[in-house]
Amino acid sequence: MKASGSRLGGRIAVALAAVSGLYCANASAGFFDLNTGKVFLTNGAVITDGASGGGINPWATIGGMETRDGVNGTVHYTYANLPSFTLNSVGLLVGLWDRLELSYTWDTGPTSSTYNTVGLLTNTLNSLLTNPVIAPLLTPLGLTQTANTGIEPFNTQVIMNVVGLKLRLFGDAIYNSDSLIPQVAIGGFYKWNANKQLLHTLGAAKADDFEAYVSATKIFFPLSTLISATGRYTSANQTGLVGFGGPDGNKRTFRGEFSIAYLLNKQTAIGAEYAMHSDNLHDVMLGNINANGLVRTLQNIPAVNALVGPTLQSLNGTLTQHEDDWKDIFFAYAPNKNLTFVFAYAMLGQIVLAPHNNGVYMSVQANF
Amino acid sequence: MKPISMKPIRSSLQAFAIGVLALAATAPALADKEDFPTAKGTTPTIPGIDSDALEKFGGEEGVHKWAEALFYYIMLDNRINWIFERFGNPKRQIELNTQLETMVLGGPAKYQGASMSAAHSDLHITLTQFNAVVEAAYNACERVNTPYHVCNQLIAALAPFERVIVTR
Repeated sequence: MKASGSRLGGRIAVALAAVSGLYCANASAGFFDLNTGKVFLTNGAVITDGASGGGINPWATIGGMETRDGVNGTVHYTYANLPSFTLNSVGLLVGLWDRLELSYTWDTGPTSSTYNTVGLLTNTLNSLLTNPVIAPLLTPLGLTQTANTGIEPFNTQVIMNVVGLKLRLFGDAIYNSDSLIPQVAIGGFYKWNANKQLLHTLGAAKADDFEAYVSATKIFFPLSTLISATGRYTSANQTGLVGFGGPDGNKRTFRGEFSIAYLLNKQTAIGAEYAMHSDNLHDVMLGNINANGLVRTLQNIPAVNALVGPTLQSLNGTLTQHEDDWKDIFFAYAPNKNLTFVFAYAMLGQIVLAPHNNGVYMSVQANF
Repeated sequence: MKPISMKPIRSSLQAFAIGVLALAATAPALADKEDFPTAKGTTPTIPGIDSDALEKFGGEEGVHKWAEALFYYIMLDNRINWIFERFGNPKRQIELNTQLETMVLGGPAKYQGASMSAAHSDLHITLTQFNAVVEAAYNACERVNTPYHVCNQLIAALAPFERVIVTR
Protein backbone atom coordinates (compact mmCIF):
# COMPACT_ATOMS: atom_id res chain seq x y z
CA MET A 1 0.00 0.00 0.00
CA LYS A 2 2.67 2.41 1.03
CA ALA A 3 4.78 1.48 -1.97
CA SER A 4 1.97 2.10 -4.45
CA GLY A 5 1.33 5.48 -2.83
CA SER A 6 4.87 6.65 -3.21
CA ARG A 7 5.05 5.24 -6.74
CA LEU A 8 2.06 7.35 -7.72
CA GLY A 9 3.67 10.28 -5.94
CA GLY A 10 6.80 9.71 -7.96
CA ARG A 11 4.84 9.65 -11.20
CA ILE A 12 3.15 12.91 -10.33
CA ALA A 13 6.46 14.51 -9.42
CA VAL A 14 7.84 13.43 -12.79
CA ALA A 15 4.79 14.82 -14.58
CA LEU A 16 5.09 18.16 -12.82
CA ALA A 17 8.83 18.25 -13.52
CA ALA A 18 8.04 17.61 -17.17
CA VAL A 19 5.63 20.53 -17.18
CA SER A 20 8.21 22.80 -15.59
CA GLY A 21 10.84 21.48 -17.98
CA LEU A 22 8.58 22.30 -20.89
CA TYR A 23 8.45 25.97 -20.23
CA CYS A 24 12.22 26.17 -19.86
CA ALA A 25 12.75 24.31 -23.13
CA ASN A 26 10.26 26.48 -24.97
CA ALA A 27 11.22 29.78 -23.38
CA SER A 28 11.30 31.47 -26.74
CA ALA A 29 8.02 29.97 -27.94
CA GLY A 30 5.88 32.33 -25.90
CA PHE A 31 3.22 29.92 -24.74
CA PHE A 32 5.36 28.56 -21.92
CA ASP A 33 7.28 31.74 -21.12
CA LEU A 34 8.18 32.06 -17.48
CA ASN A 35 6.10 35.01 -16.35
CA THR A 36 6.12 36.96 -13.08
CA GLY A 37 3.53 39.56 -14.00
CA LYS A 38 1.02 39.15 -11.19
CA VAL A 39 0.67 41.99 -8.72
CA PHE A 40 1.91 41.27 -5.18
CA LEU A 41 -0.06 38.67 -3.19
CA THR A 42 -2.64 38.14 -5.94
CA ASN A 43 -1.39 34.56 -6.24
CA GLY A 44 -2.70 33.92 -2.71
CA ALA A 45 -0.75 31.67 -0.39
CA VAL A 46 -0.44 27.87 -0.59
CA ILE A 47 -2.71 25.84 1.68
CA THR A 48 -1.83 22.51 3.32
CA ASP A 49 -3.76 20.79 0.51
CA GLY A 50 -1.24 22.33 -1.89
CA ALA A 51 -3.59 24.68 -3.77
CA SER A 52 -3.52 28.45 -3.91
CA GLY A 53 -5.62 29.98 -1.15
CA GLY A 54 -5.31 31.28 2.39
CA GLY A 55 -3.88 28.89 4.96
CA ILE A 56 -6.53 26.16 5.01
CA ASN A 57 -9.13 27.24 2.41
CA PRO A 58 -8.59 27.12 -1.35
CA TRP A 59 -9.41 30.36 -3.19
CA ALA A 60 -10.38 30.99 -6.81
CA THR A 61 -6.91 32.45 -7.36
CA ILE A 62 -4.39 30.53 -9.49
CA GLY A 63 -1.00 30.00 -7.83
CA GLY A 64 2.29 31.18 -9.25
CA MET A 65 3.14 34.74 -10.26
CA GLU A 66 2.15 34.34 -13.91
CA THR A 67 -0.50 36.29 -15.76
CA ARG A 68 -2.36 34.89 -18.76
CA ASP A 69 0.86 35.59 -20.69
CA GLY A 70 2.91 32.71 -19.28
CA VAL A 71 3.55 30.10 -16.62
CA ASN A 72 5.06 30.05 -13.15
CA GLY A 73 5.55 27.76 -10.20
CA THR A 74 5.75 27.78 -6.43
CA VAL A 75 7.35 25.50 -3.87
CA HIS A 76 6.18 25.65 -0.27
CA TYR A 77 6.92 24.37 3.17
CA THR A 78 4.34 24.71 5.91
CA TYR A 79 4.73 23.82 9.56
CA ALA A 80 1.91 23.72 12.12
CA ASN A 81 2.84 22.90 15.69
CA LEU A 82 -0.23 21.75 17.59
CA PRO A 83 -0.43 20.15 21.03
CA SER A 84 -1.26 16.66 19.75
CA PHE A 85 -0.09 16.83 16.16
CA THR A 86 2.68 18.42 14.15
CA LEU A 87 1.96 18.98 10.48
CA ASN A 88 4.64 19.40 7.86
CA SER A 89 3.50 20.13 4.34
CA VAL A 90 5.93 20.23 1.45
CA GLY A 91 4.80 20.69 -2.10
CA LEU A 92 5.04 22.25 -5.47
CA LEU A 93 2.54 23.97 -7.69
CA VAL A 94 2.51 24.96 -11.33
CA GLY A 95 0.34 27.83 -12.54
CA LEU A 96 -0.48 27.89 -16.24
CA TRP A 97 -1.67 31.15 -17.84
CA ASP A 98 -3.43 32.20 -14.62
CA ARG A 99 -6.01 29.68 -15.73
CA LEU A 100 -4.97 26.20 -14.63
CA GLU A 101 -3.19 25.09 -11.49
CA LEU A 102 -1.54 21.71 -10.86
CA SER A 103 -0.21 20.83 -7.43
CA TYR A 104 1.32 18.06 -5.40
CA THR A 105 1.80 18.15 -1.64
CA TRP A 106 3.14 15.72 0.89
CA ASP A 107 1.58 16.20 4.34
CA THR A 108 3.27 14.39 7.16
CA GLY A 109 3.82 14.62 10.87
CA PRO A 110 4.19 12.74 14.11
CA THR A 111 1.25 12.40 16.48
CA SER A 112 1.45 13.19 20.16
CA SER A 113 2.39 11.29 23.30
CA THR A 114 -1.18 9.97 23.64
CA TYR A 115 -0.46 7.74 20.66
CA ASN A 116 2.87 6.80 22.18
CA THR A 117 1.02 5.56 25.27
CA VAL A 118 -1.50 3.55 23.27
CA GLY A 119 1.22 2.22 20.98
CA LEU A 120 3.41 1.26 23.88
CA LEU A 121 0.52 -0.50 25.65
CA THR A 122 -0.66 -2.48 22.64
CA ASN A 123 2.89 -3.31 21.73
CA THR A 124 3.64 -4.52 25.26
CA LEU A 125 0.40 -6.44 25.51
CA ASN A 126 1.03 -8.13 22.18
CA SER A 127 4.52 -9.20 23.21
CA LEU A 128 3.23 -10.47 26.56
CA LEU A 129 0.58 -12.51 24.74
CA THR A 130 3.30 -14.17 22.70
CA ASN A 131 5.33 -14.96 25.80
CA PRO A 132 4.82 -18.70 26.59
CA VAL A 133 5.00 -18.11 30.34
CA ILE A 134 2.81 -15.05 30.70
CA ALA A 135 0.28 -15.66 27.91
CA PRO A 136 -1.58 -18.52 29.71
CA LEU A 137 -2.15 -16.14 32.63
CA LEU A 138 -3.64 -13.44 30.41
CA THR A 139 -5.81 -15.42 28.01
CA PRO A 140 -8.36 -16.45 30.70
CA LEU A 141 -8.95 -12.70 31.19
CA GLY A 142 -10.24 -12.54 27.63
CA LEU A 143 -7.21 -10.70 26.32
CA THR A 144 -6.16 -11.52 22.79
CA GLN A 145 -3.56 -10.07 20.52
CA THR A 146 -4.66 -6.91 18.81
CA ALA A 147 -4.15 -6.60 15.10
CA ASN A 148 -1.85 -3.89 13.78
CA THR A 149 -3.36 -0.60 14.98
CA GLY A 150 -1.01 1.53 12.95
CA ILE A 151 0.03 3.10 16.24
CA GLU A 152 3.71 2.78 17.02
CA PRO A 153 5.24 2.96 20.50
CA PHE A 154 6.78 6.29 19.51
CA ASN A 155 6.08 9.00 16.92
CA THR A 156 3.29 7.40 14.94
CA GLN A 157 3.33 9.10 11.53
CA VAL A 158 0.43 10.47 9.60
CA ILE A 159 1.37 10.63 5.91
CA MET A 160 -0.94 11.95 3.21
CA ASN A 161 -0.23 12.70 -0.45
CA VAL A 162 -2.38 15.25 -2.24
CA VAL A 163 -2.60 16.01 -5.93
CA GLY A 164 -4.68 18.98 -6.97
CA LEU A 165 -6.11 20.54 -10.07
CA LYS A 166 -7.84 23.91 -10.30
CA LEU A 167 -9.41 25.68 -13.25
CA ARG A 168 -10.41 29.33 -13.24
CA LEU A 169 -13.77 29.50 -14.96
CA PHE A 170 -14.65 33.18 -15.22
CA GLY A 171 -14.43 36.52 -13.48
CA ASP A 172 -11.54 38.65 -12.37
CA ALA A 173 -10.89 38.95 -8.63
CA ILE A 174 -8.82 42.08 -9.09
CA TYR A 175 -9.87 44.44 -11.86
CA ASN A 176 -13.67 44.20 -12.07
CA SER A 177 -14.16 46.77 -9.33
CA ASP A 178 -17.43 47.93 -10.94
CA SER A 179 -19.05 44.50 -10.73
CA LEU A 180 -20.05 42.12 -7.98
CA ILE A 181 -19.17 39.08 -10.09
CA PRO A 182 -16.28 37.34 -8.36
CA GLN A 183 -13.51 35.22 -9.83
CA VAL A 184 -14.81 31.66 -9.86
CA ALA A 185 -12.79 28.46 -10.06
CA ILE A 186 -13.48 24.77 -9.71
CA GLY A 187 -10.95 22.32 -8.39
CA GLY A 188 -10.35 18.89 -7.04
CA PHE A 189 -7.95 16.92 -4.89
CA TYR A 190 -7.08 13.28 -4.77
CA LYS A 191 -5.64 12.36 -1.39
CA TRP A 192 -4.11 9.09 -0.30
CA ASN A 193 -2.80 8.06 3.10
CA ALA A 194 0.14 5.79 3.87
CA ASN A 195 -0.82 4.74 7.42
CA LYS A 196 -4.04 2.89 6.56
CA GLN A 197 -3.99 0.78 9.76
CA LEU A 198 -4.10 3.92 11.88
CA LEU A 199 -7.10 5.23 9.95
CA HIS A 200 -8.85 1.89 10.45
CA THR A 201 -8.11 2.10 14.17
CA LEU A 202 -9.75 5.52 14.23
CA GLY A 203 -12.78 4.22 12.31
CA ALA A 204 -12.44 5.98 8.94
CA ALA A 205 -14.29 4.32 6.05
CA LYS A 206 -11.57 5.05 3.50
CA ALA A 207 -7.92 6.04 3.49
CA ASP A 208 -7.99 7.47 -0.03
CA ASP A 209 -10.60 9.67 -1.64
CA PHE A 210 -11.23 12.67 -3.85
CA GLU A 211 -12.64 16.07 -2.98
CA ALA A 212 -14.14 18.64 -5.32
CA TYR A 213 -14.72 22.33 -4.70
CA VAL A 214 -15.95 25.53 -6.21
CA SER A 215 -14.47 28.84 -5.03
CA ALA A 216 -15.46 32.46 -5.49
CA THR A 217 -12.96 35.19 -4.62
CA LYS A 218 -13.04 38.96 -4.95
CA ILE A 219 -10.97 41.94 -3.87
CA PHE A 220 -12.88 45.08 -2.93
CA PHE A 221 -10.27 47.80 -3.48
CA PRO A 222 -12.28 50.64 -1.91
CA LEU A 223 -12.19 48.56 1.29
CA SER A 224 -8.73 47.03 0.71
CA THR A 225 -10.39 43.72 1.50
CA LEU A 226 -10.48 40.27 -0.08
CA ILE A 227 -13.40 37.91 0.49
CA SER A 228 -13.48 34.28 -0.56
CA ALA A 229 -16.03 31.49 -0.21
CA THR A 230 -15.60 27.83 -1.08
CA GLY A 231 -18.00 24.91 -1.17
CA ARG A 232 -16.10 21.66 -0.81
CA TYR A 233 -17.72 18.32 -1.63
CA THR A 234 -15.96 15.92 0.68
CA SER A 235 -16.20 13.30 3.40
CA ALA A 236 -12.76 14.08 4.84
CA ASN A 237 -11.87 13.82 8.49
CA GLN A 238 -9.35 16.58 9.33
CA THR A 239 -8.87 17.31 5.59
CA GLY A 240 -8.22 13.59 5.05
CA LEU A 241 -5.34 13.27 7.51
CA VAL A 242 -7.69 10.99 9.48
CA GLY A 243 -9.13 9.44 6.36
CA PHE A 244 -12.57 9.80 4.84
CA GLY A 245 -16.00 8.94 6.17
CA GLY A 246 -16.71 6.88 9.24
CA PRO A 247 -18.62 3.90 10.57
CA ASP A 248 -21.72 5.08 8.71
CA GLY A 249 -19.90 4.98 5.39
CA ASN A 250 -18.18 7.45 3.10
CA LYS A 251 -20.84 10.12 2.74
CA ARG A 252 -19.66 13.26 0.95
CA THR A 253 -21.40 16.55 1.62
CA PHE A 254 -20.83 20.18 0.68
CA ARG A 255 -19.05 22.13 3.39
CA GLY A 256 -18.57 25.88 3.48
CA GLU A 257 -15.17 27.53 3.86
CA PHE A 258 -14.82 31.29 4.23
CA SER A 259 -11.86 33.64 4.22
CA ILE A 260 -11.44 37.36 4.69
CA ALA A 261 -8.20 39.27 4.27
CA TYR A 262 -7.51 42.92 4.88
CA LEU A 263 -4.65 44.41 2.88
CA LEU A 264 -2.46 46.54 5.15
CA ASN A 265 -0.22 47.50 2.27
CA LYS A 266 0.61 46.05 -1.12
CA GLN A 267 2.83 43.38 0.45
CA THR A 268 1.03 42.60 3.72
CA ALA A 269 -2.34 41.12 4.56
CA ILE A 270 -4.03 40.02 7.76
CA GLY A 271 -7.10 37.87 7.86
CA ALA A 272 -9.15 35.03 9.21
CA GLU A 273 -10.50 31.75 7.91
CA TYR A 274 -13.22 29.34 8.85
CA ALA A 275 -13.73 25.85 7.44
CA MET A 276 -16.64 23.56 8.27
CA HIS A 277 -15.60 20.03 9.13
CA SER A 278 -17.56 16.85 9.66
CA ASP A 279 -17.94 14.80 12.81
CA ASN A 280 -17.82 11.33 11.26
CA LEU A 281 -15.69 9.52 13.79
CA HIS A 282 -16.46 8.52 17.34
CA ASP A 283 -15.28 5.07 18.48
CA VAL A 284 -11.70 3.80 18.45
CA MET A 285 -11.03 0.35 16.97
CA LEU A 286 -8.12 -1.58 18.46
CA GLY A 287 -7.72 -4.23 15.83
CA ASN A 288 -11.15 -5.82 15.69
CA ILE A 289 -12.08 -4.67 19.16
CA ASN A 290 -14.16 -1.56 19.50
CA ALA A 291 -12.49 0.06 22.53
CA ASN A 292 -15.54 2.16 23.30
CA GLY A 293 -17.77 -0.89 22.83
CA LEU A 294 -15.64 -2.74 25.36
CA VAL A 295 -16.05 0.06 27.87
CA ARG A 296 -19.81 0.19 27.23
CA THR A 297 -20.02 -3.58 27.70
CA LEU A 298 -18.33 -3.24 31.05
CA GLN A 299 -20.71 -0.44 31.97
CA ASN A 300 -23.63 -2.77 31.24
CA ILE A 301 -22.45 -5.24 33.85
CA PRO A 302 -24.27 -3.96 36.98
CA ALA A 303 -21.62 -5.09 39.44
CA VAL A 304 -18.81 -3.48 37.46
CA ASN A 305 -20.80 -0.35 36.85
CA ALA A 306 -21.63 -0.01 40.55
CA LEU A 307 -17.95 -0.28 41.34
CA VAL A 308 -16.29 1.89 38.69
CA GLY A 309 -19.19 3.39 36.74
CA PRO A 310 -18.00 7.02 36.76
CA THR A 311 -14.49 5.95 35.76
CA LEU A 312 -15.82 3.97 32.80
CA GLN A 313 -18.07 6.85 31.81
CA SER A 314 -15.11 9.19 31.84
CA LEU A 315 -12.94 6.65 29.98
CA ASN A 316 -15.57 6.27 27.30
CA GLY A 317 -15.70 10.05 26.93
CA THR A 318 -11.92 10.27 26.72
CA LEU A 319 -11.84 7.54 24.07
CA THR A 320 -14.56 9.15 21.96
CA GLN A 321 -13.41 11.14 18.95
CA HIS A 322 -14.86 14.46 17.93
CA GLU A 323 -13.99 16.82 15.15
CA ASP A 324 -14.31 20.58 15.29
CA ASP A 325 -14.42 23.14 12.50
CA TRP A 326 -11.07 24.67 11.64
CA LYS A 327 -10.32 28.35 12.16
CA ASP A 328 -7.26 30.51 11.84
CA ILE A 329 -6.09 34.09 11.91
CA PHE A 330 -3.17 34.87 9.65
CA PHE A 331 -0.57 37.40 8.70
CA ALA A 332 0.91 37.16 5.19
CA TYR A 333 3.91 39.09 3.98
CA ALA A 334 5.57 39.07 0.56
CA PRO A 335 8.95 40.83 0.85
CA ASN A 336 9.29 40.46 -2.91
CA LYS A 337 7.57 38.64 -5.76
CA ASN A 338 9.59 35.49 -5.21
CA LEU A 339 8.72 34.96 -1.57
CA THR A 340 5.64 34.86 0.63
CA PHE A 341 5.61 34.16 4.35
CA VAL A 342 2.50 33.29 6.30
CA PHE A 343 2.29 33.27 10.09
CA ALA A 344 -0.96 32.11 11.60
CA TYR A 345 -2.62 31.03 14.79
CA ALA A 346 -4.44 27.84 13.87
CA MET A 347 -7.45 26.83 15.95
CA LEU A 348 -8.20 23.27 14.87
CA GLY A 349 -10.12 22.20 17.96
CA GLN A 350 -10.34 18.52 18.77
CA ILE A 351 -8.23 16.21 16.63
CA VAL A 352 -9.12 12.54 17.14
CA LEU A 353 -9.13 12.28 20.95
CA ALA A 354 -7.22 15.40 21.92
CA PRO A 355 -9.06 18.70 22.31
CA HIS A 356 -7.74 22.29 22.08
CA ASN A 357 -5.37 21.85 19.18
CA ASN A 358 -4.44 25.48 18.82
CA GLY A 359 -1.00 26.56 17.79
CA VAL A 360 1.36 28.29 15.47
CA TYR A 361 1.27 27.84 11.69
CA MET A 362 4.15 29.03 9.55
CA SER A 363 4.59 28.79 5.83
CA VAL A 364 7.22 29.89 3.37
CA GLN A 365 6.54 29.93 -0.35
CA ALA A 366 9.03 30.57 -3.10
CA ASN A 367 7.88 31.59 -6.57
CA PHE A 368 9.99 31.15 -9.67
CA MET B 1 10.75 42.52 -26.34
CA LYS B 2 8.59 41.86 -29.30
CA PRO B 3 8.85 44.43 -32.04
CA ILE B 4 5.84 46.63 -32.46
CA SER B 5 5.37 48.23 -35.83
CA MET B 6 6.04 51.93 -35.75
CA LYS B 7 3.00 54.02 -36.14
CA PRO B 8 2.77 57.73 -36.35
CA ILE B 9 2.40 59.29 -32.98
CA ARG B 10 -0.99 60.80 -33.09
CA SER B 11 -2.35 63.08 -30.46
CA SER B 12 -4.76 60.40 -29.37
CA LEU B 13 -1.83 58.14 -28.62
CA GLN B 14 -0.37 60.81 -26.42
CA ALA B 15 -3.22 60.08 -24.15
CA PHE B 16 -1.78 56.66 -23.80
CA ALA B 17 -2.20 56.86 -20.14
CA ILE B 18 -1.75 53.25 -19.49
CA GLY B 19 -0.02 54.72 -16.57
CA VAL B 20 -3.27 55.18 -15.16
CA LEU B 21 -4.37 51.86 -16.12
CA ALA B 22 -6.90 53.70 -17.52
CA LEU B 23 -8.82 56.12 -18.95
CA ALA B 24 -11.74 56.67 -20.74
CA ALA B 25 -13.17 59.27 -22.71
CA THR B 26 -15.14 61.89 -21.08
CA ALA B 27 -16.15 63.32 -24.35
CA PRO B 28 -19.48 61.59 -24.98
CA ALA B 29 -18.68 61.43 -28.68
CA LEU B 30 -15.69 59.25 -27.98
CA ALA B 31 -17.14 57.13 -25.28
CA ASP B 32 -18.27 53.63 -26.03
CA LYS B 33 -20.09 51.40 -23.64
CA GLU B 34 -16.93 49.78 -22.34
CA ASP B 35 -15.28 53.10 -21.65
CA PHE B 36 -14.92 54.61 -18.25
CA PRO B 37 -15.36 56.89 -16.50
CA THR B 38 -18.96 57.66 -17.07
CA ALA B 39 -20.11 61.02 -18.34
CA LYS B 40 -20.19 62.14 -14.73
CA GLY B 41 -16.52 61.29 -14.50
CA THR B 42 -16.51 58.71 -11.75
CA THR B 43 -16.25 54.94 -11.98
CA PRO B 44 -19.26 53.13 -10.47
CA THR B 45 -17.19 50.90 -8.20
CA ILE B 46 -18.76 48.49 -5.72
CA PRO B 47 -18.65 49.74 -3.05
CA GLY B 48 -18.17 53.36 -4.10
CA ILE B 49 -14.86 55.10 -3.53
CA ASP B 50 -14.51 57.35 -0.49
CA SER B 51 -16.01 60.81 -0.94
CA ASP B 52 -12.90 62.43 0.50
CA ALA B 53 -10.50 60.43 -1.71
CA LEU B 54 -9.36 63.44 -3.77
CA GLU B 55 -8.82 65.52 -0.66
CA LYS B 56 -6.73 62.75 0.92
CA PHE B 57 -4.76 62.52 -2.30
CA GLY B 58 -3.74 66.13 -1.80
CA GLY B 59 -6.20 67.59 -4.27
CA GLU B 60 -5.33 68.20 -7.90
CA GLU B 61 -1.84 69.30 -6.94
CA GLY B 62 -1.32 66.05 -5.03
CA VAL B 63 -2.55 64.05 -8.00
CA HIS B 64 -0.12 65.93 -10.23
CA LYS B 65 2.80 65.05 -7.96
CA TRP B 66 1.62 61.43 -8.01
CA ALA B 67 1.43 61.44 -11.84
CA GLU B 68 5.00 62.76 -12.00
CA ALA B 69 6.13 59.96 -9.70
CA LEU B 70 4.14 57.46 -11.77
CA PHE B 71 6.02 58.34 -14.93
CA TYR B 72 9.29 58.39 -13.06
CA TYR B 73 8.69 54.72 -12.19
CA ILE B 74 7.26 53.80 -15.56
CA MET B 75 10.26 55.21 -17.40
CA LEU B 76 12.60 53.26 -15.12
CA ASP B 77 10.83 49.95 -15.74
CA ASN B 78 12.44 48.07 -18.62
CA ARG B 79 9.30 45.99 -19.09
CA ILE B 80 7.27 48.99 -20.20
CA ASN B 81 9.39 52.13 -20.63
CA TRP B 82 10.07 51.30 -24.28
CA ILE B 83 6.34 51.44 -25.06
CA PHE B 84 6.05 54.89 -23.59
CA GLU B 85 9.26 56.04 -25.29
CA ARG B 86 8.01 54.83 -28.64
CA PHE B 87 4.37 55.90 -28.53
CA GLY B 88 4.03 58.44 -25.79
CA ASN B 89 4.96 61.88 -24.65
CA PRO B 90 5.49 61.62 -20.90
CA LYS B 91 5.12 65.35 -20.27
CA ARG B 92 1.74 65.44 -22.00
CA GLN B 93 0.73 62.15 -20.38
CA ILE B 94 1.45 63.50 -16.90
CA GLU B 95 -0.98 66.35 -17.62
CA LEU B 96 -3.64 64.03 -19.03
CA ASN B 97 -3.22 61.61 -16.13
CA THR B 98 -3.59 64.44 -13.64
CA GLN B 99 -6.85 65.44 -15.33
CA LEU B 100 -8.16 61.91 -15.49
CA GLU B 101 -7.24 60.85 -11.96
CA THR B 102 -8.53 64.07 -10.48
CA MET B 103 -11.80 63.41 -12.25
CA VAL B 104 -12.23 59.76 -11.25
CA LEU B 105 -11.46 60.67 -7.64
CA GLY B 106 -14.47 62.98 -7.72
CA GLY B 107 -12.88 66.26 -8.86
CA PRO B 108 -13.72 68.45 -11.86
CA ALA B 109 -14.12 66.64 -15.19
CA LYS B 110 -11.47 68.35 -17.28
CA TYR B 111 -10.04 65.32 -19.04
CA GLN B 112 -9.12 66.26 -22.63
CA GLY B 113 -7.61 62.99 -23.85
CA ALA B 114 -8.89 60.33 -26.15
CA SER B 115 -10.94 57.30 -25.27
CA MET B 116 -8.83 54.64 -23.67
CA SER B 117 -9.90 52.01 -26.13
CA ALA B 118 -9.02 54.32 -29.01
CA ALA B 119 -5.70 55.19 -27.44
CA HIS B 120 -4.63 51.61 -26.83
CA SER B 121 -6.31 49.53 -29.50
CA ASP B 122 -3.23 49.29 -31.75
CA LEU B 123 -0.70 48.72 -29.00
CA HIS B 124 -1.38 45.07 -28.13
CA ILE B 125 -0.93 45.76 -24.44
CA THR B 126 -0.57 42.60 -22.35
CA LEU B 127 -1.87 42.06 -18.84
CA THR B 128 1.75 41.71 -17.72
CA GLN B 129 2.48 45.23 -19.01
CA PHE B 130 -0.73 46.57 -17.49
CA ASN B 131 0.21 45.08 -14.12
CA ALA B 132 3.65 46.69 -14.40
CA VAL B 133 1.91 50.08 -14.57
CA VAL B 134 -0.20 49.14 -11.54
CA GLU B 135 3.02 48.44 -9.67
CA ALA B 136 4.34 51.82 -10.77
CA ALA B 137 1.10 53.39 -9.52
CA TYR B 138 1.61 51.86 -6.06
CA ASN B 139 5.28 52.87 -6.04
CA ALA B 140 4.22 56.40 -6.95
CA CYS B 141 1.76 56.49 -4.03
CA GLU B 142 4.55 55.45 -1.69
CA ARG B 143 6.88 58.04 -3.24
CA VAL B 144 4.47 60.91 -2.52
CA ASN B 145 3.35 59.39 0.79
CA THR B 146 -0.24 58.81 -0.23
CA PRO B 147 -1.48 56.13 2.19
CA TYR B 148 -2.11 52.67 0.72
CA HIS B 149 -5.83 52.75 1.45
CA VAL B 150 -6.22 56.12 -0.27
CA CYS B 151 -4.19 54.78 -3.19
CA ASN B 152 -6.62 51.86 -3.43
CA GLN B 153 -9.49 54.31 -4.04
CA LEU B 154 -7.69 55.35 -7.22
CA ILE B 155 -6.85 51.75 -8.11
CA ALA B 156 -10.53 50.83 -7.71
CA ALA B 157 -11.60 53.72 -9.97
CA LEU B 158 -9.09 52.82 -12.70
CA ALA B 159 -9.28 49.03 -12.50
CA PRO B 160 -12.14 48.55 -15.02
CA PHE B 161 -9.99 50.19 -17.72
CA GLU B 162 -8.10 46.92 -17.82
CA ARG B 163 -10.87 45.57 -20.01
CA VAL B 164 -10.31 48.16 -22.76
CA ILE B 165 -6.54 48.64 -22.44
CA VAL B 166 -5.41 45.00 -22.39
CA THR B 167 -6.09 43.65 -25.85
CA ARG B 168 -3.79 40.64 -25.96
